[in-house]
Amino acid sequence: MVLNIGPQHPSTHGVLRLKVVTDGEIVSDIAPVIGYLHRCFEKHCENSTYEQVIPFTDRCDYIASMNNNFGYVVAMEDLMEIKVPERVEYIRVIMAELNRIASHLLALGTYGLDVGAFTPFLYMFRDRERILDIFELTCGARLLYNYMWVGGVSHDLPVGFVETVYNFLDYFEPKVQEYNDILTYNKIFIERTADVGVLLPEVAISFGVSGPNLRGSGVKWDIRKDEPYSIYERFDFDIPIGQGLVGTTGDCWDRFYVRVLEMIESTKILRQALKDIPTNGDVHQALPKKIRPPKGSIYRRTESPRGDLGYYIISDGSPQPYRLKMRSPAFTALSVLNEISRGWMLSDVIAVLGSLDIVLGEIDR
Amino acid sequence: MTVDRLIDWFPISATWPGLTFLLAVLICAVPVFLFIAVYALVVIYGELKISSFMQDKVGPMGQGVGLHAWRWGLLQPVADALKLILKEDIIPASADKKLFILAPFIVFIGAFIAFSALPFSQTLIIADMNIGIFYILAVSSLGVIGLIMAGWSSNNKWSLYGAMRSAAQIISYEIPAALSIIAVIMLTSTMSMQGIIQYQSGLIWGFLPNWLIFNNPFTFVAFFIFFISGVAECNRTPFDIPEAESELVAGAFTEYSGMRYAFFFLSEYANMFVVAGVAATAFLGGWQSPIPGLFNSPAWGLWWFMSKTMFLIFVMIWFRWTFPRLRVDQLMSVCWKGFTPIALVNIFGVGIWYLTLG
Amino acid sequence: MTDNQEQLIKEAVKKALQGDMDAVNNIEDRVTRSKAKAALVKAKREAAKTSAEPSAEEKSEESGSESKPASQSPNQQFAGIIASQFPNTVDEELSSETHIQLRPAKWFDVAQYLRDDPACLFDSLQCITGVDLGEDSGLEVRYNLHSMTHRHAIEIRIACSDKNPKVPSVEAVWRIGDWFERETYDMFGIKFEGHRDLRRILLPDDWEGWPLRKDYEVQETYHGIVVPKVKEGWE
Repeated sequence: MVLNIGPQHPSTHGVLRLKVVTDGEIVSDIAPVIGYLHRCFEKHCENSTYEQVIPFTDRCDYIASMNNNFGYVVAMEDLMEIKVPERVEYIRVIMAELNRIASHLLALGTYGLDVGAFTPFLYMFRDRERILDIFELTCGARLLYNYMWVGGVSHDLPVGFVETVYNFLDYFEPKVQEYNDILTYNKIFIERTADVGVLLPEVAISFGVSGPNLRGSGVKWDIRKDEPYSIYERFDFDIPIGQGLVGTTGDCWDRFYVRVLEMIESTKILRQALKDIPTNGDVHQALPKKIRPPKGSIYRRTESPRGDLGYYIISDGSPQPYRLKMRSPAFTALSVLNEISRGWMLSDVIAVLGSLDIVLGEIDR
Repeated sequence: MTVDRLIDWFPISATWPGLTFLLAVLICAVPVFLFIAVYALVVIYGELKISSFMQDKVGPMGQGVGLHAWRWGLLQPVADALKLILKEDIIPASADKKLFILAPFIVFIGAFIAFSALPFSQTLIIADMNIGIFYILAVSSLGVIGLIMAGWSSNNKWSLYGAMRSAAQIISYEIPAALSIIAVIMLTSTMSMQGIIQYQSGLIWGFLPNWLIFNNPFTFVAFFIFFISGVAECNRTPFDIPEAESELVAGAFTEYSGMRYAFFFLSEYANMFVVAGVAATAFLGGWQSPIPGLFNSPAWGLWWFMSKTMFLIFVMIWFRWTFPRLRVDQLMSVCWKGFTPIALVNIFGVGIWYLTLG
Repeated sequence: MTDNQEQLIKEAVKKALQGDMDAVNNIEDRVTRSKAKAALVKAKREAAKTSAEPSAEEKSEESGSESKPASQSPNQQFAGIIASQFPNTVDEELSSETHIQLRPAKWFDVAQYLRDDPACLFDSLQCITGVDLGEDSGLEVRYNLHSMTHRHAIEIRIACSDKNPKVPSVEAVWRIGDWFERETYDMFGIKFEGHRDLRRILLPDDWEGWPLRKDYEVQETYHGIVVPKVKEGWE
């Protein structure tokens, strides 16, 4: 039977269409059809200036906008050889890690919803709201920030910011334990996700999967540690990898648990950053008056909550990019869906899709 | 009993017994239908509020008695019911019309006629048959036919999936439920609902009421088996894969709208009441008060029955918002490899207990 | 401009040319700072003109004291390895320290070699970018490869013509090539030979034209819906 999941469906994370060929309940082939959210991001960039590209990058992965911005400005600053002040570096790391926590909360909450657990979804969104309130305090926007600019950030931290984030961290860290009790170690959840959709490391690397999906398969690869950018070398944090605690290494539960542990690591980074942030400095100091990078090209990767976010920028010396390609981690994650969910049941396809944590905005651009 | 009393009361019963019977049945059926409607409103409101409090929300707050002073949203379910009644009745063009229209009624009938054997109080039972509990178990399977009709006639692959899963689930979970009831019947030696409740009068060990749940460890386990199988029969989470929202939109009922959907909805809640009612009767003493001797007039009997049933329904709602859902094959393996063997062992256990310990 | 300012700017520019931007960034006065940045840009342009090297072939030639073959960039290193294994594939003139220019003919074999050879082990294809270099130069496909075991990365560029662009497909070597190549085909019209299922991925199957080419004209209507034109020049 050829079934069609989506494009309008409660649990595809965005407008995604899956053409599923099933034999009863067992799935034999899945063909994802994407492009419903294609907004010609790359063509628009060729007609905009480098500053005008930043709001566009926000809208690609709309759940982790800070990290999208971060990737772009890191690539641009490498290309133009700009060095930003210390305070800007710390602010960027704080924002990126807060957004990482928010993104993981959404991923885990909606995954629980897909599997049928309605309540943890609301608990996680309640905590995500507190992070969005912090962002609103800083730059006025809750979801799409346009915050990190080439050479600096758009707004300096408001008064009382450090206090607020410390309060949030003190509130949040015990909550992770609560989530573990209610969802992660729940017997029914484990039965739904353990041993399902096992992603072997070689398959993952060949498919270009990265981020928590790759780490769930046991590969210790994190761009923040292995190709460090900004000031990540100064922080002391671990890279959690999947070890098959309740099933096989690389199953859905491992990917889920890696995200839970990553939230804890992000809180560690946040605490260290808040302690060491320089208290004064002009965040607009290093903003170039006119962005005209030298001729050349650059490919730079950063770690977004979904994996390796890469920007390939070709500049021809003019104020507009000649070509800008965004290599999105969710694109590669979705391509591996067919490989790992063949032979499982229809409910498992939903479980696997949720564990890959895709955002269609990033896939389609 | 009530039907019999009504028949005796009618002055024309001697000359036209058939007509009298029909009239008596109608007079009993209408209050039951009204009761189901009102009860559904109460339970829907309860579900919304309880789920909201469990999820750190506030739930419906708007419409209701006293718009500003008591913002309790008490009229929310009324608004829901009105909305469903006033919605456009869409029948998909390629659906099988006759079956499509018939399906909600059959599902509702399956739940509705089980009410005729529920003992609301000592004197308030529509028909006290000597096979009461057997009758309830039998007619609650009627709903399956309606579900399959709904899934098939919608001409929608997703509905078909939902209907097939649902049918398999309900039929399978009937077995452990029935086996648990057999354990009860073995002790009470009667299948009549009032008889089962009468058996549970008195005290054990001087202070515990002689309810079957406390009687012996095997019936204690049988209660849980029956209750969880009942939750599965109602298609409630953690067994709600047939209507799994995140996978199949609404399962077998995807194509239904308006009043027809309301009927399915209503019958799900009616089913919940039947399951909770039977569990309360067979294991928790029905309309008997926990303190024998006190509070056992018929009015109090109604109160005890309703409160036990409502407590069990609260537990069902609690389950729904706490657990993720089981996958279909896991559901089935829990039933056939878990519950059915335990229920069979229970029957043996009860028999041996009765013979050895009296 | 006072002498003090001039002096400050000169020193800041000198430090910046050596790589330390903090001197320029830490100038308090905005006017002075922007003047320093302008002077820096001018100085860099002069330096590029006087060095007169088109694409800085060997880094060791510029910084004379460090002229050792070991400071070759990975691109040059692997260009050498590929050239020795597969003669006639590397286009020496256009390869540089930033990329390796390959001819399309034996690309599939080179790709397999790069993935399997123990010294290379490029098991991860990071990104495939299609580029339209303009009317005269045609199209180009750029591959960013990375090795998880050895942690080195190279960039490979393959040029193809405008009219009938064809490049061998590497989807059998790196599985992600499947979707990346479909995307490049979708946007540029480059046909990847050997790809099992080359069809559009982001746009509908019956869309006309190759959007990311510089000479792309968007179609007027699509199934009766009017297609809005992209605004040119957003200044």
